[in-house]
Amino acid sequence: MIKKFEDFNYYELLRISYNASSFEVRQAYKHMLAIYEENSLATYSLFTEDERKLILSKIEDAFMILIDDEKRKAYDNDLVNAGEAPDNLLTAREKKKAIPIYQTSKARANNNSLARIKKKIREKEAGDLTATMLRGDQISGKDLKNVRESLGIELEEIFQVTKISPTALAAIEKDDVANLPPKIYLISFLKAYAEALQLDPRQIVEGYIKNIS
Amino acid sequence: MRRIYSIGGGKGGSGKSFIAASLGILLAKHGKRVVLVDLDLGASNLHTLLGMQIPEKGLDSYVDKTASHLGDVALTTTVPNLYLISSTRCSLEIANLFYAQKLKIISAIKTLPFDYILLDLGPGTNFNTLDFFLIAREGFFVTTPEPTAIENTFIFMKSVYLRKLKLSLKEANLWHTYQEEIAKLSRGAFKSPLDLINILIARDPEKGRVFEELLSNLEFRLILNKFRGQVNENLGEQLVEVCNRHLYPSFSFLGNVSYDNRVYESVLARNIFINKYPYTKTVSNLQNMVRNLTGEQQESLRVKVQQ
Repeated sequence: MIKKFEDFNYYELLRISYNASSFEVRQAYKHMLAIYEENSLATYSLFTEDERKLILSKIEDAFMILIDDEKRKAYDNDLVNAGEAPDNLLTAREKKKAIPIYQTSKARANNNSLARIKKKIREKEAGDLTATMLRGDQISGKDLKNVRESLGIELEEIFQVTKISPTALAAIEKDDVANLPPKIYLISFLKAYAEALQLDPRQIVEGYIKNIS
Repeated sequence: MRRIYSIGGGKGGSGKSFIAASLGILLAKHGKRVVLVDLDLGASNLHTLLGMQIPEKGLDSYVDKTASHLGDVALTTTVPNLYLISSTRCSLEIANLFYAQKLKIISAIKTLPFDYILLDLGPGTNFNTLDFFLIAREGFFVTTPEPTAIENTFIFMKSVYLRKLKLSLKEANLWHTYQEEIAKLSRGAFKSPLDLINILIARDPEKGRVFEELLSNLEFRLILNKFRGQVNENLGEQLVEVCNRHLYPSFSFLGNVSYDNRVYESVLARNIFINKYPYTKTVSNLQNMVRNLTGEQQESLRVKVQQ
């Protein structure tokens, strides 16, 4: 059966879906105001002044309810109870939420892995370990890898902290000279790598460069 | 498959005949066999828009039985594939057609041997105009972006629905049952055809649904003619939305047709506007409509997707 305008619920009144975001609610509200406002060419001859006022106030109500999360939930409940909206309405909306442009959770992950690395180094009492492993004035990628692995730190965690791409990190650890970045980058990468593992950056850079040249 | 489009819109001067002629020409150029039927009885002038002299035969020859088939009075035009059934020579009295004559014309139009049959209607909401409009299941409402034209178009739309319902009820021998109630409602300029349907549903839900279905079967398109830059560009969409929400959900927007002063000039000079100014915005608007109607747009889209 075709629904009469007078029987429209707030969603139908604004012509939006039940899982419309608050952005869509706002857009729809503006759209409907343009159609029903007093000097609108599209509807001027269709309604009396009282009818127009009634419609506009209903649109206003619809907007005020649907833009407010709490009120909207209560309204949705009523709709579902009245059998007008699908039962899954209340759970379905959870899926569609605004996505922030800057994801703070990612930044937190960065801090987390830094803390995790620090904790691992503290637990293993890394000082002695690294001292024995990095003896001599030449340091190979394999030595670095051994240190990292003996500390129980993943390559991925180094990436999280240093933001050096995992492929570049892998090339460093494999002494893969052909795929190493240009020297100036290599030096700063090695520094960052050393700092992440709380090693002496100068010793690492000098030893590594000597080893590959 | 034969398609019949009626082109109406309530207000005189909104450009119904211009739109009918232009769509007819463009459909013919797409290789369809098209006939334009001038049903603005007593004030017909479609032939002028096609650059023709006063035709020597037309609807009158069929009404007075000089021609046995309506298709026989279709005149060739300067556009290949385009034919015209004129009503110029109908006597001035023909505007008040006898009922039997009207039925004869209506059933003859429905069986004309053409791909597209375009019915150009007169202004106003008299019964002849409404009955001719309802020959087609698909109707075009031509309006201009002025309050007066829009107001008349709404009235025309409502009248079409009321007339359709009344004819269907009469056909089902139910008119007497509802006559009084419906007359009462329509005297106070009823708000929505749904109000009428609801009267039927309240009395007899099952039959009411049948009539609701019957009205749903109609398919209407809106054309906004003489569109100018200063007009809100969403007006057409807004109007369609209002019709769907407050009248009946059967409307779609076919598009704007840009205003061009040269349309007036070419009518004066009895030129075919489309042929004389093919590269104007107005003509490209009309071409888009024809593409939309023939479904070509969808096809070219589909090709793009496949690529």
